[in-house]
Amino acid sequence: MDEGILIARAGRGDEEAFAQLYARHQGPLYRYALHMCPQAADDVVQEAFLAVIQRPDGYDASRGTVAQYLFGIARRQVKRRIGDFRETPVTDVDGVDENTPLDELIQIDSVARVRAAVDALPPVFREVVVLCDLQEMTYHEAAAVVGCPIGTLRSRLHRGRVQLANRLAAAPAAVGSGRRP
Amino acid sequence: MTLNRDARLRDALRALGRDDAERAAPAYVEAHVIGEIRRLARDRRIRTARRGAALAVAAVVVVAATVALIRVRRSERPADAAGVAQEITTAFLPLPYAGVPVSNGAIVRLRVPRTALASFGLLAPDASDAGSDATVTADVIVGDDGLARAVRFVRASVHKEQTR
Repeated sequence: MDEGILIARAGRGDEEAFAQLYARHQGPLYRYALHMCPQAADDVVQEAFLAVIQRPDGYDASRGTVAQYLFGIARRQVKRRIGDFRETPVTDVDGVDENTPLDELIQIDSVARVRAAVDALPPVFREVVVLCDLQEMTYHEAAAVVGCPIGTLRSRLHRGRVQLANRLAAAPAAVGSGRRP
Repeated sequence: MTLNRDARLRDALRALGRDDAERAAPAYVEAHVIGEIRRLARDRRIRTARRGAALAVAAVVVVAATVALIRVRRSERPADAAGVAQEITTAFLPLPYAGVPVSNGAIVRLRVPRTALASFGLLAPDASDAGSDATVTADVIVGDDGLARAVRFVRASVHKEQTR
């Protein structure tokens, strides 16, 4: 069923439509919230779906997809909790020593290390890495969620990846031991 | 970053993405939102029922008032048309059952004790010289349930037909 119809029905109290909508979108929203605001990920997802039923006319198909709409709400909820995140000035961590041996630079021996490195990124870069590299959104989709031009998104993504590489290279091998609860 | 390093980083992120893919919001999140859907639906039903009841009452009042008006005009028309007799009336004054909904009704003309005027705070022009058993004409709106809803007092005023 078309998602616009689904969200309209859910907004009118159709539980079946809501269940379909929830099944499709709760996972990506939850994983986004988990990386951005782990202490309140449940609340962020809950607020996003409550907005759908409490403001049934809130979704405008001409402004984007249902996923983008839901991510937009989730993103506002994240900002409410961790504060507005803006692009920080370029710092030394953005620079990469291209002569560093590859295996030393990225000692990716566990998913937990990568997770810890991603979650340690400044929110403005973490967000685009999560959307583009973990959620595998296109640049266009991610830019719509973040509300910035594609060029800005690509720049943030590049800087995020560079910082991530540096953090992985710098982190001791035993960062993190598994999943968060 | 070099292409090779970029590719390794991308692979690492994909691995993290795959690991993340199993993560889902706890079941209580969905249960809470569905509970909210049911609460909103219940509120909507109550609002709709209240609105329907209010509309029904309003419709009954409008119909009753229209019927009463039509009957009053019919009863007045012959005298006005002839130009022979006219009546001076007060406005309809509500009676205790005025608020009870009615689907149909009629205007009944009665002779009531003159003291009835006083109970509405109205004084008859010739009250001072009238006997205690004197009566006045009144039109009473009676619903099809037999309850009187409103009353007005009537005084005949006879005029000669105008001629040119």
